[in-house]
This record gives sequence, structure tokens and C-alpha cells, in this order.
Amino acid sequence: MSVRSQPGNAGSLSLERRGDHFLGRFVAMASPCELLVDTDDRDEAAAALEIVRAEALRVERKFSRYRDDNVVHAINHAGGRPVEVDDETARLLDYAATCHEMSEGRFDITSGVLRRVWTFDGGDRVPDPAAVAEALGHVGWQRVTWSGRTLVMPAGMEIDLGGVGKEYAVDRAAGLVPAATRAACVVNFGGDLVASGPRRGDQPWNVGVDDPERTGEAALWRIELSRGGLATSGDARRFVMWNGRRLGHVLDPRTGWPVAGAPRSVTVLAATCVEAGMLATLACLRGPAAARFLEEQGVRFRIV
Amino acid sequence: MQLEDRGGASVRRRLAAAACVLLAAGAPGAASGQSATPAAATGEAAVKWRFEGSGLLYGEQSRANVVEPVARITRLFSSGQALSAQFTLDAITGASPTGAMPSGTVQTTTSASGQTSTTAANAVPTHPFHDLRGALDLQWVRPIGSLVTITAGGHASREKDYQSLGSHGTLSVDLLHRLTTVTLGGAVYHDGVFPVGGTPVGLADSTVAKHFGTQAKDVTTALAGVSQVLSRRWMLGVTASRTRETGYLTEPYKIVSVLDPTTGLPTGQLTENRPSNRMRNDVLTSSVFHFDSDVFYLSHRYYWDDWRIHSNTLDIKVRHDISQDMWIQPHVRGYEQSSAQFFVFGLTHGPPASLPTYASADDRLGPLRSVTLGATYGFRVPGQPGEFTIRGEYMYQWVSGQPAGPSLQQNNGENENGGTAGGTGGGSVSGTSIGSLLAGYTVQF
Repeated sequence: MSVRSQPGNAGSLSLERRGDHFLGRFVAMASPCELLVDTDDRDEAAAALEIVRAEALRVERKFSRYRDDNVVHAINHAGGRPVEVDDETARLLDYAATCHEMSEGRFDITSGVLRRVWTFDGGDRVPDPAAVAEALGHVGWQRVTWSGRTLVMPAGMEIDLGGVGKEYAVDRAAGLVPAATRAACVVNFGGDLVASGPRRGDQPWNVGVDDPERTGEAALWRIELSRGGLATSGDARRFVMWNGRRLGHVLDPRTGWPVAGAPRSVTVLAATCVEAGMLATLACLRGPAAARFLEEQGVRFRIV
Repeated sequence: MQLEDRGGASVRRRLAAAACVLLAAGAPGAASGQSATPAAATGEAAVKWRFEGSGLLYGEQSRANVVEPVARITRLFSSGQALSAQFTLDAITGASPTGAMPSGTVQTTTSASGQTSTTAANAVPTHPFHDLRGALDLQWVRPIGSLVTITAGGHASREKDYQSLGSHGTLSVDLLHRLTTVTLGGAVYHDGVFPVGGTPVGLADSTVAKHFGTQAKDVTTALAGVSQVLSRRWMLGVTASRTRETGYLTEPYKIVSVLDPTTGLPTGQLTENRPSNRMRNDVLTSSVFHFDSDVFYLSHRYYWDDWRIHSNTLDIKVRHDISQDMWIQPHVRGYEQSSAQFFVFGLTHGPPASLPTYASADDRLGPLRSVTLGATYGFRVPGQPGEFTIRGEYMYQWVSGQPAGPSLQQNNGENENGGTAGGTGGGSVSGTSIGSLLAGYTVQF
């Protein structure tokens, strides 16, 4: 039995028995999502799946930047006026602020503006440096005044919690599963996953991490995971060619340009999915020093 | 483009702390990541073993010196279980106060083992000793599901005249979306005391009356605790415990001075004697505040027992990260206790006058006060695994109201046991300085 960290088929809500466990699937956050429950009880598995799906949809609704009815929209359209946020949003912003500081500005939730000028479609269209500079004028968490509950952001800037949201939803959803079942589970949203504990008989879950260029075809890395998070950063299909060099879609918010020499894909194991995801992101932002950075953190990882 | 690497595992550690705050508090539910199991706490499945080694040097001003190496090895299983074994060795040399009063003339003290020692005039009489203690502790931690953790352990230690065997267990349950953790536990110890040269009879001449064989001491503890995440930055915990001790609770080498009722000068000495039951209680309240980069720990312990000792301990620590590879944690502690009902500085009536049933002049049962100042410094060597810590502490300890010397004895009153108690004026502070230095190393592999 193995869990693919990149689920192949996306479909609507389904629950099926897979040997000694149940596999539930749904789509949320533009990703195929899976829940594996180590139980023989279909009702428990169905209840757990409903909880996990509801939480995924809740987090998506609340923090997606593509909606016009949530807190992110309110912040991005405040036009420089202060926005008071709820406790959960505050915690996410605190976390993002800590990551910004810890990464010396490499991780920045305001960097999404740069995506308007960059197109990573495998072609060779590099933006006009003036356009990059103009966009960069609307980037930088240091320009935001964040006082723990109230956020004041200059007009024209935007935040995007996409760099944290999916992993956050994974950990949150896994934390809610015990309300439905005591069985161990794996929550996997588009390849970012967390295992809640060992399977019956103290067996670990087997997780396969796909080759980023051959998703669903070949598992590059197989690992046994009983408890903890796993997340992948990078997208092999999203790049732009510049002077014969391939630039990945990881943008450095300090320069407005893609990080040179960034790995195509970084997969990290950590205690939670949130930590794994951030370590993978921070590693990508280190460019060629990604492996050394992760070695120093003492975590298990895989770089392609 | 700037690509220099200022790594160090501290990014992971800070991230773990930030993720814990992100996932722990707030609206319905919380994540599995903040499970208190060792595998989760160490952050990744790769770690299989953890080694912790330390060496402690402890010295009391012109009294005992202790050298204590400790080694602990833990096997971490992917299931979240952890099994650890800890070996401790204590080498103690020096002198311990016998309990006798300082006198204007030379005093002779005869110990239970038949040794004699003399003490210079006005010095606190002490008993020289050298002892080696070895201890083994085993512990097993097992998570059950994602919300329950059980811990079980065993303890054995042995020294020249004392041995201890015990076991303990705790059960922790995460409730209310992991914002609350409830812990219940208990421990049982069966100790044996076999003083060199036999066990002295209480409140008698230490050289004469003896019991032979092992004296038993049984200790039973129950504890209950709750910890609560109150906000994104604040965690509060309360733990209460109750311990019952029965059996031989007397210190076989401690003595009580007999004082001349008129001059206040020591005229002789008796062995001490304590009740054979003690009910001890304590309530520990602790609080952790996370500031942007510093962590502030505050705890208060209130202790009381049926020997009428009441004590308060206030402990403050602040952890400050200097850089990614260095941190420092200053530490301040204050302690005060009231004396046991049968504590005396000396007895004003020796035999054949009637004696109290119980009496002890042991400082630790007296109106003891102490202040501790210290700091721990932790660092990593870039490119090397593991973390080093160095802790230095200075403690000043004194007995409130202790008579300063024979010339002041006449001013002291007598307590209900016919002994001289403190706090009646004319007392002075005669304190002891205690220093300790601890060096430690922790590595996971």
C-alpha cells in the first residue's frame, strides 16, 4: 500500500475501501485531496472525510485571494486603511511575519504582485526591467504595519496566503479527524500531507513522492512515515528561459527576479505540514544553497 | 544575487515554535503537529537516537563538593514511542553540618561510625564524608492515538548507606482541541537506610544506642496537572502533588546540641529524631510567555507538609536568542521556608531532664532562605551536529534568625519543646555560598 504524494485522479467526493484502509477523495484549493483512514469502519471514515473536506473548503473560502467575500479581499482592497482581523487570520499573519524575518525577507506574502509581470510558461518572455521595478515598488512586508490585530498596508500592495494556506489546511484538517475516529490517518492536499500516527500494528504509512516531471507515473522517493508532515515546493513545469538559462518560478521578493539556480523541486519532512512546507519554500529561495540549508536544519529532504 | 547561507538548525527550531503557535490556539480544532510525543517534538522521522551528556560541579563554601556526570540515551521510534536510559554518578566529598551549634571552645563530635572529628572554636561543626552514588533511570513514553500519551519509568540507586527502588507512571490527555492538556500520575518508592555502624537511637548519645539492620522508608506520590493555552503567546500550567512518606525519616548522622541553660554554651549532643510519617503537598503554577524573540518563564511553587514546613519558591527565566546559533538564559530564584515544628537550634535540657519526642537541628528543616542567580548559555558549532550548553549558578543560603554564637545564647528564648528556637532577636545571618557549573551536550543521530 502506498500513498502518492501527488494524487493522480482528481474527482468529486468519493470514498472507497483499499485493502486494510479507506481512501477518500475530493477536490479543494485547486488540488486533488485525499484522506486515508486506517480503519475498517466505513461510517467513521466517511465522517472523517466530511470533516476534512469541510475544513479544506473553509480554509480555502477564508484565505483564497480569488474570492471577494473574505478577509484577504478586505485587506487587499482596503486602500491603505487599517483592517482589523480575526484571531485565526492574526495567527497566520504572525506566522508569515516570523517567516519573513527569519528568511531575511526572502519569504514575503506581499510578493504575489510580481506574478503579474512574470509568465512562467516555459517560453522565453522575460519582463521589461522597468516593469519589474514598478511591481517591486508594491512588494515588501516591511512596508506593512502589523500590530498583532490591525494591519495597515499601502494601497496597491496585496497579500497572498497561498504560500502557507494549503499546508495550514492539511494540519488543521488532520487535527480535526479525532472527532470522527481514533484511527490513524493521512491528510494529503495536492502532495502536501501529514500523517497523524502509526497504523495498526505500529506500521508506518508508505509515502511515494513523484517525479515532478512525470506526475503520477513514477515515484522517485519512497519513505515510511508514521507521524509528521511532508511538503514539496517547486513546480518543474513552470519556468522561463532567459539567455539560455532556465529560471524557475520561485521569485526573490528582494530583487523581483527568479532565484537563480533554485531546485526544480524540494520535498521536506518535518513535524507538521506547515513546517515542512516552509522549510521547502525557504530552501528553494536559497537557490543553489538549498541542500546545504536543509542539511543544517537536520531534516530529511529530497531535492530534484 | 545574495546567496550566502546563514543556516543553522535554529531556523527549524524557530519555525517549529511559530508553527506550534499557529496550529495550537484558536477556533475549532488544531493540528496534529503539536503532539507532545518525542518523535513529533524532535521534528522529523530521521532521528533515531538522542544522546544527552552533562557534567555538574557543585561546591558549597568549605563544605560538600559534588561531581555529577550524567549520560542519557534515548531511542526514538517512528511510532512516536521513546525509550530512554539514564545513568547518573554522584561523587560527594567534603563536610556536612552535623546540626551542632558553634561553640566558643573546641567541640568534639563522634559519628555513628565511631569516627571523631573536632571543630575549631566558633566554626559550625561538620561531619566529613566521602560517598559515591550510582543511579539508573529507565523511561518509556508511548502515545496512544493522537491525544493520549502514557509514560512509565523505573528508578534504582545505591550508595554506601542508602538505596532506593521506585517506579512512576503518568497519563496525559489533550482536550478541547489540544488547548488543554490534563496529566495524572503517581509514583512509588521503597528505600532502605543502613547507616555505617548501625542506626542510632533517636535523641540519645550517638555512640551508645544502635539499631542494626536496614531501616525502611516508603514514599507514595500522586499528582494531577492541567496546562492551558490561553492565547497565541501565553501558556499557563498548574500541577499539584501529594506525597506520603513513612518509615525511617531521620537523618542518621545529624545531631542536636545540648546547651547549658544558663550560659547557652554547648555541653553535649544527642542524635536527632524525626516523626515516622510525613505528608507533603505542593502546588506548582508555571507560565510561559512568548515574545517576538524572547521567551519568559515564570513559576511559583507553594509547598506545605504536616511537619509544619511551608515554603515558597519563585523562579524566573528569560531565554534570549543572540543569533541563530547562540542563546542565553538568565535565571533568578528566591526561596523561603518556615521551620518544622520540631526544629531547634539546640536543646536547653539534656538527659535526664525530659526530652521532646522529636528534635532536629538540620538546616533544611529550619527557617531557610536562599537566593540563586545564574545563566545558561547554549551554542552550536557551525557545521557540527549537536548543541552545547554551559550553566553557571550562584546560590546564597542562610537560616533566618540563627543564633550567631554562644555570647548571644542567653538572650534567646525557649520553644515549647525545650529547645532554643530562632527569631528571638540577637540572631544574625550566617550564610553559605554555593556555586555550580554544568556543561552539557545534546546530539541526535
